[in-house]
Amino acid sequence: MRLRVRALVPMFAAVLALGTPLAAHHGDAAYAATPMEMKGCVVTEFDWMNPHSLIKFDYRTATGEVQHWTMEIGSPPSMTLLGWSRTTLRAGDVITAYVYQARSGVQVGRTNKVILADGTVLADRDDSTPSRYGTTEAPK
Amino acid sequence: MRHIWARAVVAVAAAVVVSSAAVAQTPQSQAKPAKSPWVYYPLDTITGDGGPAPKRDLSGTWAGPGSTDAIPRGAAAEKPSLTPLGQQVMGQHKPIGRYGPAGTNDPTARYCDPLGFPLNFIYQNRAMSVATMPNRVVFLLQFGGFWREVWTDGRPLPAKVGGDDRDSLDPTYMGYSVGHWEDDYNFVIDTTGLDERTWLLRDGTPHSVMARVQERWTRVDHNTMKVAMTIDDPKMFTRPFSLGTYYYRWVPNQKINEWLCVPSETLKYLQEQGDPAGSYPDAEPQRLGGGGRGR
Repeated sequence: MRLRVRALVPMFAAVLALGTPLAAHHGDAAYAATPMEMKGCVVTEFDWMNPHSLIKFDYRTATGEVQHWTMEIGSPPSMTLLGWSRTTLRAGDVITAYVYQARSGVQVGRTNKVILADGTVLADRDDSTPSRYGTTEAPK
Repeated sequence: MRHIWARAVVAVAAAVVVSSAAVAQTPQSQAKPAKSPWVYYPLDTITGDGGPAPKRDLSGTWAGPGSTDAIPRGAAAEKPSLTPLGQQVMGQHKPIGRYGPAGTNDPTARYCDPLGFPLNFIYQNRAMSVATMPNRVVFLLQFGGFWREVWTDGRPLPAKVGGDDRDSLDPTYMGYSVGHWEDDYNFVIDTTGLDERTWLLRDGTPHSVMARVQERWTRVDHNTMKVAMTIDDPKMFTRPFSLGTYYYRWVPNQKINEWLCVPSETLKYLQEQGDPAGSYPDAEPQRLGGGGRGR
C-alpha cells in the first residue's frame, strides 16, 4: 500500500503541474512545444548579447543537406546564473543541440539545452528556484 | 641489495602519497577556481543581516529581484481596475508575452526605448547603486545605465505636469521625485511627470503623465532593504493599487557589471531570430526557456 501511495505522489504532482497555467513570459508561443535533437552541430557563431544571445550552427541532416540554424538563449545575466559565459561556445565547437523550432518553419528556434563535446550539459532554463515575481512577468 | 629494495619501496610509497594528494586536490581546485579581482560574480551573495541598519541611509550597491535566488521573494503587483480610457490605451498595446518579439509593439523590446520609472524598478532591476547627496538621493540603475534623482530638500512635487503652460513640468522617463525620511529607516518617495510613452507594467498596462507613484523604502538591516510601491492615476485606474514589494541585498564587494540595451544588438536579434520566428498571439501561452534561476 505504501508503494502505491508513493507511486501516486509524482502522478499527483504532474497533474497539478499540468493544471497550472503557464505565464507567457517570452512570447514562446512562436515555438514548438517539444524540442528536436540535433547531433554533430558545428558552431559558426556565438553572439553573447542582449536581449537574447544567439547560437548559430551548421547541422547535417540524414540526407546530407547542411542546414544553417540560429537558436536563442536568455540574456547574459540570466544565462550567467546557469553556467553560461561569453566564452562557452566558439566557432568550430561540435555540440548536440536540443531546439524548439519556430512554428513558422524557418530554421530558428528556442534552446532547450546544449551538450558540449566534453559532455557538459547547459540548459536554457532552471525551474529549481521559484520566481520572485509571483504572477507578474519575470525578466528575460 | 636489501637497501635497493627498501629504497624502491619507499620511492613507490612516496609516489602513491604524492599522486593521492594530487588526485585529492584536483577536484577541489577545479571546483573552486581562483577568482579574478575584476570579474563580477553574481552568484556571490551576502549572508546574514550584517548588523543593524544604518540610520537614514540607503547608500551602497544592491542586488535586486532576478539577480540570484538569494533575494527574498516579495509581493507581485495587484491587478489594476482600468477606466474606459485605460482600457482603450491598453487595447492598443501588444505585450511581448502574448505577441512575442515579432508582433509586440513594446517600445523597449522593439527599439531599446527606456523602460522608465516605475517599470525599470518593477521588471528589470537586478542591481543598482544608491548615492546620497546633500539635497537628493540618486538611484544608479544597472539595466540601461540610467540614473534617477530624488530631491530631499523639502521641495514639493510640481503642481503643473505635462501641460502647455510655460512653467509646466515636461514629462520624463524617470519622472520628478521628492523624498523624505518618515523615520530613521523608512524613506518615502513621491513621483509624478512620467512620460506616457512608457508602459506601467510589462503586460501593456498604461499610465498617464499625472500618475502619482509612491515608494516606501525600508532599510531592514545592513544587508537588506525592500520597497513597496503604489500608484494613483485616476485617468487610467478606478482606484489606487499596489505595484508590488521588492527586496534588495547588499552586494559583497560592491561591484556590479554593465548591462545595457544596445539598439544594434536588439536589431540583430529581431532580424535573425525574433522576427523570423513569427507572432502567434492566439496560440496557447508557453514558456520554454530564458533563464529561470532566481527570476
